[in-house]
Amino acid sequence: MSSERGGLAESVYEVFARKTRGEPLRHIGYIDAPGDELARVYAWKTYDEENWFEMCVVPRGAVIPVNRADGPWAANRPGGKEGGR
Amino acid sequence: MSAPAPLARHILSLADTKRLLGIRYSDWILGSPSIETGIAASSMAQDEWGHARLLYSMLKRLGFDPFEVEHERPADRYYSAPALDDPFEDWADFVAATVVVDGALAVALESFGGGNFALARSRVPKMLAEEEYHRQFGAAWFARLAGSGGEGAARVRAAALAMLPSTLAWLLPDDDLYGALVEEGAVWAGARVREACAARMGATLAAAGVGLADIEPARAGWDPERRRGPGAPAEEAVERARGDRNRALFVE
Repeated sequence: MSSERGGLAESVYEVFARKTRGEPLRHIGYIDAPGDELARVYAWKTYDEENWFEMCVVPRGAVIPVNRADGPWAANRPGGKEGGR
Repeated sequence: MSAPAPLARHILSLADTKRLLGIRYSDWILGSPSIETGIAASSMAQDEWGHARLLYSMLKRLGFDPFEVEHERPADRYYSAPALDDPFEDWADFVAATVVVDGALAVALESFGGGNFALARSRVPKMLAEEEYHRQFGAAWFARLAGSGGEGAARVRAAALAMLPSTLAWLLPDDDLYGALVEEGAVWAGARVREACAARMGATLAAAGVGLADIEPARAGWDPERRRGPGAPAEEAVERARGDRNRALFVE
């Protein structure tokens, strides 16, 4: 879930957002960031095409898949394999 | 353009600094450490130009021709903070400017928005909300470089130390024109600005061993008309700020 870039480790963060209070959060993409604080900034600045009511970032390593053994979060499944993007 | 009164000088100083900062940020849209960082640099550059546009438009109310102000001044008529006169040499310069110059701008805006000039009171809060992401970006990157040890830490420390004296003089003018603004209630008094500056960047700078309270503002060669120290932004940046190459396409 993390990579080295120029000697500085970065992690993948999944980005979720919704446009209004009433709608559910939806997955809108991901970003690479070296920590939670920059992940928040990068997500807000990268996915700024909408006037979001709410945006959240979640470290990819914290997402536990329930019913799939493939996909980007597969590595987090107990006994899972490395997932792709 | 004739010499501006205290309020106009203040607005020009804020607007020109934002315009130049946007140009310096834009130089790193490509070539920054990651794609995400470049996108953030792009967004921050656009924020600065949007804020500059709003500030320039305030001058219309004070009798200035916005077209002349934005598109016709030579470099030595710019009121921008001296730390932005030349391009950033490396990423450490970018990060230090995000903390020091962008931070000083945010404090100056906070002071202006908290004063009695109605346009500032209504327009500055949205600018400050956008600036919060600049603060987070600067604080996180500064801490990252300062904590990395070696060359990165030394460079960001040196960059901050190089920018602070002229930027503090820009933020805290010790002259009659600024005193008149304080007297009118258009901006905060110096002590409150200093306090806000320490709250904004003091802890961040301390991570690199930079003591904000130890830095003396560089007031030598102060130009009271432009509210800055000696020098001027590089011609190439001013050509971009004025939009010289697009002159035939301007529409208002």
